[in-house]
Amino acid sequence: MKIGIYFCKCGGNVSGKLDVAGVRQRVAQEGVYFKDMDFPCSEAGQESIVQDIKAEKPDRVVVAGCSPREHENTFRGVLERAGMNPYLLQLVNIREHVAWVLSDPRQATEKAALYIRAAIERVKLQEPLQKTTLDVNLRTLVLGSGPAGLKAALTLAEAGREVVLVEKRPTIGGWPVLFDEVFPSLECGPCVLEPLMGEVLQGPHAEKIELLTLSQVTEVLGYYGNFKVKIHKLPRYVDTRTCIGCGMCLAGCPASGPDPLSFGLGERKAIALAFVGSLPNVPFIDPAACLRLNGRQECALCQASCPIEGAINFNDGAQDLEREVGAIVAATGGALYDCARLPNLGLGRVRNVVHSLQFERLASPNGPTGGKLLTAEGHPPKRVAIIHCVGSLDSGHRPYCSAVCCASAFKFNRLIQEQTPGTEITHYWKGLCVPGKRGHTLYEEALHDPRTRLVHYTDISQLDVANAAGGVAVRCSAGNGSAGVPPAQAKAGGTPALPVLGGAPAPQKPEAALFDLVVLCPALVPGPDTAQLARLLEAGTDRTGFFEERHGLVQSSKAKVRGVYLSGTCRAPMNIQEAATEGEAAAGNVLAALVAGRKLEIEPVVASVDAERCSGCMCCVPVCPYKAIRREPEKGKAEINAVLCSGCGTCVASCPIGAIRGAHFTNAQIMAELKGVLA
Amino acid sequence: MSTGLKAPQATAAGAPAPSSVGGADDAAVFEPKIVAFLCNWCAYAGADKAGAAQVPFPPNVREIRVMCSGRVDPQFVLSAFEQGADGVLILGCHPGDCHYKEQNYRAIQRFRIVLALLEQFGIPAERCRFDYVSAAEGERFAKLITETTAAIRALGPLRAPAQ
Repeated sequence: MKIGIYFCKCGGNVSGKLDVAGVRQRVAQEGVYFKDMDFPCSEAGQESIVQDIKAEKPDRVVVAGCSPREHENTFRGVLERAGMNPYLLQLVNIREHVAWVLSDPRQATEKAALYIRAAIERVKLQEPLQKTTLDVNLRTLVLGSGPAGLKAALTLAEAGREVVLVEKRPTIGGWPVLFDEVFPSLECGPCVLEPLMGEVLQGPHAEKIELLTLSQVTEVLGYYGNFKVKIHKLPRYVDTRTCIGCGMCLAGCPASGPDPLSFGLGERKAIALAFVGSLPNVPFIDPAACLRLNGRQECALCQASCPIEGAINFNDGAQDLEREVGAIVAATGGALYDCARLPNLGLGRVRNVVHSLQFERLASPNGPTGGKLLTAEGHPPKRVAIIHCVGSLDSGHRPYCSAVCCASAFKFNRLIQEQTPGTEITHYWKGLCVPGKRGHTLYEEALHDPRTRLVHYTDISQLDVANAAGGVAVRCSAGNGSAGVPPAQAKAGGTPALPVLGGAPAPQKPEAALFDLVVLCPALVPGPDTAQLARLLEAGTDRTGFFEERHGLVQSSKAKVRGVYLSGTCRAPMNIQEAATEGEAAAGNVLAALVAGRKLEIEPVVASVDAERCSGCMCCVPVCPYKAIRREPEKGKAEINAVLCSGCGTCVASCPIGAIRGAHFTNAQIMAELKGVLA
Repeated sequence: MSTGLKAPQATAAGAPAPSSVGGADDAAVFEPKIVAFLCNWCAYAGADKAGAAQVPFPPNVREIRVMCSGRVDPQFVLSAFEQGADGVLILGCHPGDCHYKEQNYRAIQRFRIVLALLEQFGIPAERCRFDYVSAAEGERFAKLITETTAAIRALGPLRAPAQ
C-alpha cells in the first residue's frame, strides 16, 4: 500500500517550531512518501496536491497540517478532484496540537512524527465510503393552523410546494383570531389573521394547500424525505364543497351544547359556525349536541332550512386518510396552565374569576357577549383584578416565564379602560416581563393610568381569591407585597424604572380588596396533544413538555428527528409575531432540505449493523437520540436508518458483541491509531 | 471487549517512543504517556483553541479524536493501558452541551463501568478521568492536560499488577 504524506509548513507556523527534516526521517518507512510544502490549503497548494496525487497514485493520503475541524473537507475535496475516494484521507493536527503548544523543537519534532506514524497506521485501515442518495417527496404536512401553521403552509405554497394542512378544530386561525385586539399593535385579531386564512382558502397558491379540518394525525411511518402519514378526519356533516355559508341552517336548530371556543362562558347551537367570520365559512354539527345524531329525535330542521340540497348530510362518517410527505411541520400550539392546580385563585369555584383566554373571548366582538365586558351578573365591571404569573416562574408549577402574559395583561388594562373608562384595575405581579421593541408601550400606559395600581407578591400562595359580599375578595398576605412602582411616581413625571424580575420592592402591609372581575394570566404550556404527537413523530419533548429542538439556539426550528420541523407555541411560549416567524422559518428549512430535482444525500459516516452478529438484544435502541435504530420485525435484529443516523457512534460502543460498525471510526481504525500513539 | 490484559508495557526497555514525548525509560524524570479521547465538537475544538491561543500544555498527551465521547468503548481504555498508557482521559462536552443531545451522559454512564473494570485489573481509578471541555475552553483544556500529567507523574509508571 502506497501512502502519501503532505506536510504543511504553514509559512513558519509549523516549520519554525520543529525540524521538518527530522519529522521526515522519523516517519520514513516502506511505501510512504513525504512531501513538505507551504500552505497546501491555498488554491495553488490544493492544485499542486491534486497533480501530485495523480502522478504518484497513492492508495491513502495523510495531510499533516492544521485542525481537521478547519480543513478536513478542503482536503477531502482535493482527493476527490484527484480521482480518489475522499475518505481515504487522515488529517494530523500538527499546528494547533503540536507546533503552537510546545516550545521545545525537539519535543515538537518527536510528537509530530508520533502523530503522523499513528495516522499512517489508521489510514491503512480506512475504506472508501460513498454518499448515497434517496428520492424525496416534496409535499409537506403542516400540523396546526394558527399563525405558525398558516405562515408555514403559505410560505411553502408560495414556493410551489404542495401542503397538507391538518387542523383539529373545524376552523382555522388558532387563538389570535379569537381575540379582540392583539398586543402590541392593538390591531383586531381577525384583522391580522383573516388575510392569511383567506389566502390559504382562496389565495393565488391555495390550490397547493389541501386543508383537512376536524383532523388529527394517528400514525407516522417512514422517515425524512418519505413519510407516510395516517390522518383521522371526523365528520362535519356539512359539505364544504357545496355549502354557501349562508347560515340559514343555524336559526332553526333547537339544540345547543357548550362552545369550546368561549372556554366555558357560552353555548353554541348543535349546528354552528365557530364564530362570526370563522373560516372555512361552513357550519358543522356537534354530534354530542345534535338531537338527531344522538338518536333522540328525528329532527331535520337544519336540513329543511338549507337552500342547497344535500349540503347537510347526517350520514357523513369519519374518514381515515393516508398522505405521503417528505417533511412535517409541527405547529400545534399551546394551552394555558391548569388553574385547578392553584385552587386559592378560585377559578371554577368563585364566580367572576376568569382566565386570560376567557377574558379575550369576553372582550371579542365574535365572543359570547358580543364583545361587551360583562360580569356573570351582566354588569360592566367597575373593579378588576389581573393576576400575573399564574403558575409561572414557580418551581412548584412551571419554572419558566411565558413572556407573553404581562403584555396581555397590560393589553387587558387598555381594553377595560376603553370600554368602561374609570374602572379601577389592580395588577398583582410577581415578575414583570414586557420584552421587545414595542412591548413596553402598553405597560407604560397602564403605569400612567391613575386608576391602575400594581401590587407585588412574591409567591402565588400569598394570594387568596374568595366569594365576598359585594364582589370577589382578593387577599394578598405578602410580607413584602407592595406597590412595585406606585402610579404616583409615574405621575410625578418621567418614566419610572421598570420593576424587574427579582427586584426588591419596598415592604408593605398585607391587603385585601374587592373586585367585580378577577382575571388570571396563567403560564403557557404545551398543547394537550403535544406528548402524543411527539411520540407519533418520535420527535421528543424536553422537561418543560414542549417539543425539544435539535439545538435550542441555532437549530430551534428543527426537531431532534430529521425531517420534522417545529414552530410556534408547541415549541416554546411565544407571541404571535414570533410564532408567525417560526412558521416561515420552518418552511424555509423544508425548502432548503427538500429541493426539486435534488436527491437527499446521505452521509456515509454512519453506523450499520452486522445482522449476522446481532443477537437482537436491542441495547443500542435506547442510546440513539435520533430514533435511527429499530428492531427489524422479521428477523428481530437491530437495523439502523442511515438517513436518521448522525454518526455519533454511541451505539457502536454500546453493542456488547461488537455487531455495530461505525463507518470511518471503526474499532480497528481507532485501535490502530491508539497503538500508533503509544508506540 | 478484551478478555484479558497483558502486562502493561510502559516500562518496557527499548520502547521506540522517545523519552521526550513520554515513556518511562528516563529514570530521572518520569514522563507518563497519557491517552486522551476527545470528542470532535467540544473537547477537540477546545484543544484547537488552546493551540490557536498558544497556551502550552505538556507533550505527554496523545489525542485520539472521536466524533462523540459516547463512542469511547471501554475496550479502548483497557487497550490503552495494555499498550503502555499511564493514564487515560475521556473529554466530552459539558452536560447539556452535547452536539448529539445527550450522548455525553451515555459516556459518563459507561465511564463508571470502565472504572469498575479497571479495578478488576488492578489499575487504580485515579489513572482514568472523565471531564468536560467546551469548544471555547482552550485554557481549561491546557490546564486539564497539565494537571493530569502532573498527577500521573506523581503516581509513577503503571506496572503490571502482581501475579
